[in-house]
Amino acid sequence: MSAGLDAIVERADALYHDIDLTCVKQWREAHGGARAVGYMPIYVPREIIDAAGMLPVGIMGGRGQIEIIRGDAWFQSYICQIPRSTIELALTGRLDCLDGFLFPSICDVIRNLSGMWRVLFPQKYTRYLDVPQNFDPAVGGRFFAHELGGLRDDLGKLAGRAISDDDLRASIARYNENRRAIEELIALRAEAPHRAPAWEAYLILYAGNLLPVEEHTAMVRDYVAAAKAATDRAPRDQARVVMLGSFCEQPPLMLVKTLERAGCYVVWDDTALGRRWPQGDVATDGDPIVALSDAFISRSPATAAKYQPEGDRGEPLVQIVKRSRAEGVVFGAPSFCDPALLDQPMLQDALDKVGIPWTAFKYAENLGQFQVIREQAGTFADSIRLWGEA
Amino acid sequence: MTSKATILTAGIDVGSSAVKVAIVESEKGSGRERPGAKIVARTVERNRRRDPGQVVTLAFETALEHAGVKRGDLAYIATTGEGESVEERTGHFYGMTAHARGALYLDPSARAVIDVGALHARAVRFDERGRVLDYRMTSQCASGTGQFLENIARYLGVTLDEVGPLSQTGQNPEKVSGICAVLAETDVINMVSRGISAANILRGIHDSMATTLAKLLRSARAVGVVQVTGGLSADTGLLSELALAAAKLGGGKLDVQAHPDGVLAGAIGAALWGAFRTERLQSLGVGVTATA
Repeated sequence: MSAGLDAIVERADALYHDIDLTCVKQWREAHGGARAVGYMPIYVPREIIDAAGMLPVGIMGGRGQIEIIRGDAWFQSYICQIPRSTIELALTGRLDCLDGFLFPSICDVIRNLSGMWRVLFPQKYTRYLDVPQNFDPAVGGRFFAHELGGLRDDLGKLAGRAISDDDLRASIARYNENRRAIEELIALRAEAPHRAPAWEAYLILYAGNLLPVEEHTAMVRDYVAAAKAATDRAPRDQARVVMLGSFCEQPPLMLVKTLERAGCYVVWDDTALGRRWPQGDVATDGDPIVALSDAFISRSPATAAKYQPEGDRGEPLVQIVKRSRAEGVVFGAPSFCDPALLDQPMLQDALDKVGIPWTAFKYAENLGQFQVIREQAGTFADSIRLWGEA
Repeated sequence: MTSKATILTAGIDVGSSAVKVAIVESEKGSGRERPGAKIVARTVERNRRRDPGQVVTLAFETALEHAGVKRGDLAYIATTGEGESVEERTGHFYGMTAHARGALYLDPSARAVIDVGALHARAVRFDERGRVLDYRMTSQCASGTGQFLENIARYLGVTLDEVGPLSQTGQNPEKVSGICAVLAETDVINMVSRGISAANILRGIHDSMATTLAKLLRSARAVGVVQVTGGLSADTGLLSELALAAAKLGGGKLDVQAHPDGVLAGAIGAALWGAFRTERLQSLGVGVTATA
């Protein structure tokens, strides 16, 4: 690995392990005490937070880096890990540097978490962000524009200044650029996965939770350039797979590494999906709130956490497999994740119909043993390479 | 060394107690079956508490020297076992996949393999092409494995080479715990203090291990010829007890066999799969080559 590539990955790794949000505190100090607003996965309109001069901070659970002591007392045993670790982060003071928190609509557990937040932290701004369940622009679009308008007013008050249309358009342009850079990274992984291993790409994407958007765009582009130039990274004979189901609670970093070591190139995944949402540019002319709403209505990625009105839910996955030239699908979902696990049978059925092999396992963000997943991924890779058409 | 009609591949099986390397030459265009493939070099290097990376390098370099070839002559370097961290690898194959293929190479009539390594044992059933159909592994306990036997040999002051022949002389094997290696080791200490002979202790140990392994084979629904592979494939005492244990369990007939290259089965299988993959990738126009 070149010195440049080393340094970029090390910086991203340090951000991934910054469980106390030291980088957010430093940003606030450097910006005269400007405010920071946290948000849960998957989608929030970060443009509105950014346009108010505040730092959007993605909180994606404890990532296995903290011991859950108080968090378990707030939730029953049969739900996923991310709400427990998020409560733990807050109750141990690690999120004190955040002035507000947004809870996008993912599932009932996260809705309950937003309610607990109001009870636990009444002095902080808390909002549950409803997203459309109807994708008719005249219905869902109108509803979402109204919801975003309310959010814009709230965040303006929190920032101490109204958010102008020009501020919003400028921020939309910055995030458009960021999404383009991320697409370049995803394209590199599909083209040459040996140059940009999934675990490195994951760290680079994760850094976007904590860095100001322009800084993150620069990091992604620097990484892509350095990885493309890393000719010492030779291609190996591995099975190309799509990994699906990790859009909210994140897989342990070691799990991502385990998949690749076991013989799978992860050429597409839905980790940190919010960084790529919506797909393509948001319009930078006209009413920016309407532009954000339109983009959500017309160009949201297909995911189990988004309402899909009708049709074959598996078709978008089949298209992803074809576009990324994957040879199989690994369903890696968090234990007790209702959206991911309820969708799986329909997705698996769609893959079976077109003869795409798949395997499935579950994880928790604090998983420490990977031997079983290693065996499963290894045998899956063998079956594709030795008995498939590849 | 190789002609234009043949392909040269290496298999590196990284185990917890030894690294095994096989360099195999096979005819081009011979598909998965690769009839006439021959082993041109073989190396087994014990770890002996050395850095695993250094042991891999030493074993690999030794095999290359024996074969009289350079790394650049190899079309594919295939790893198996714990070999995922070997930087030189072209590709990695999972242990079951490699042992099934290696066992089929050593005995084309085999339809199952029992790989008995240092830390675990696994029974694998496969078809006539080497495709894995079913498998069972030992769980956390090491009571059916090589490390356990090595510990017992050390208590008894017997070398590993002596274990098999000595066990076969035992006339009254002592019953040993087959569930827990720690309990079994305690049993052995008690037996020594009671004056039980090393031969009877070892035969009791082999009987206990063989019962565990035979149950694994039955669980994997193995029938017909079973090749024993891994580090204990050369242990004649274990082989004879395994044949008896398999007969006692009932079900379809199990014909327990071992080959002098049984310890290399994983490496051989990986090298053969590497040859198949080389040609498959070439036919697809995918540029993956062994790292020189």
